Amino acid sequence: MNEHFTRRDLMHNAARGVVLATLGGGAGFLVRKANGQVVWQVDSARCLNSRLGEVGVAACSLCTTECVVSLSAVRAVNEHSRCGRCNICPAYFKITSAVDERGLPSEKLCPRDAITRKPIGKADPEDPANNFYDYLIDEEKCDGCGKCAMQCKEPLGLGSIVLKIRYNRCVDCNRCAISRACPKDALVRIPVTRALT
Amino acid sequence: MQYRQVAVIGGKGSGPSQFATSLRGIALDFAGNIYAANDSHITLFDAGGRLKRRWSTSQPVHSVAVAGSGAIYTGQIRQIEIFDDAGKLVHTWRDEALLGRVTSIGFVNGDVLAGDATGRAIRRLDCTGKFRNNIGRDNPLNGLLIPNGVVDFGVDAHGVIHAANPGKHRVERYAPTGELLGHIGHFHGTDPAGFGGCCNPTNVAIRDRLYVTEKAGPRAKVHSFSGELEAVIASDVFEANCKNMSIAVDRRGRVYVADTVQLAIFVFEPVAL
Repeated sequence: MNEHFTRRDLMHNAARGVVLATLGGGAGFLVRKANGQVVWQVDSARCLNSRLGEVGVAACSLCTTECVVSLSAVRAVNEHSRCGRCNICPAYFKITSAVDERGLPSEKLCPRDAITRKPIGKADPEDPANNFYDYLIDEEKCDGCGKCAMQCKEPLGLGSIVLKIRYNRCVDCNRCAISRACPKDALVRIPVTRALT
Repeated sequence: MQYRQVAVIGGKGSGPSQFATSLRGIALDFAGNIYAANDSHITLFDAGGRLKRRWSTSQPVHSVAVAGSGAIYTGQIRQIEIFDDAGKLVHTWRDEALLGRVTSIGFVNGDVLAGDATGRAIRRLDCTGKFRNNIGRDNPLNGLLIPNGVVDFGVDAHGVIHAANPGKHRVERYAPTGELLGHIGHFHGTDPAGFGGCCNPTNVAIRDRLYVTEKAGPRAKVHSFSGELEAVIASDVFEANCKNMSIAVDRRGRVYVADTVQLAIFVFEPVAL
């Protein structure tokens, strides 16, 4: 096994570990809250950053600024089954930035550099346009600002990135501070059983 | 070169010349009649935009093309239905594997080309519907990258197939046998000479030049065959959320673009400067 592969495997396993720890922590929280209770979640069909039809407006960052938890309990989540795996992902790149010598936008969109990308499947090292890419969001860096979700949604992208409350971070306020500020009433109570599925 | 809008055909509604829920494809015949693939119908307008006829397809229709014989080919899920010029069904080609979702149809050297968005390939079929070969399947590595969900192409006078490869921000040229001959186009987020967004251009039409549409923001453009931008035909008239706008060009150089949200066909003509 060469060194390149070893590093890649290590990074992949580390990312997988973070995801599993996040899911495990969240699941534990939900199990403790079971017995018919409800929890807060972002309704992506209402959220300004992901609802269809809202184009040409700035991303809403109230999930970041209003949450009582440090760095917010909201994270951007890429639903990989819906992701187009684009070469030029508008959630990863600032697509209006200057084009570099590889033909790619020279700036990234995420202000916290929380998204990484790597080619998947058959890859052409000479021409990035020939490849599919996997986009992973580092939840330790993400603060739920919503910029990537806003750029990912239709018609620019496929809407695979949405904002979600992470239950290993949420402290379950009776009246969620984000819900009070949200202009679209996108913070909703859902049954624990639905949050677990 | 500049263009001006000269007509709007159809529109959203339940009237006889309107489209209820979808407008996915448009095509022209030699006389300039306009065929719209809308809902589960083919709606036929004369060259002046007046309704001539409408008939039903068995399923929602995703594309339409008119052969030199006058036969009307309609792309659907897992099948192509072929109608005569009176709108009577004459053939149905069904194929679960090769015709997953037929989002474009064309003709080359007596064969039929079907853009299958499910298989991300153009299927070349003979005149009886028998499969001959794939085009764009693995050229050069991952084939047609279509996050937008549509395979679209045009065929030039020399039989070269110009296929949109929006994930690569290119229009690729193929021989009917499937050989990749070259491409034009590059990404650019602000310069209209390039193709912007995650995946553009989405749709292609060929006449004397290369006509394309893009999404987010929606616009129609003309490029030379060597890739130079010749004109932005229009952008502001299209609804901001529309994507996969079918485009067609007639012998006079009039350009027809299907707005998939307003469900209207916008017609533009070149303005002599």
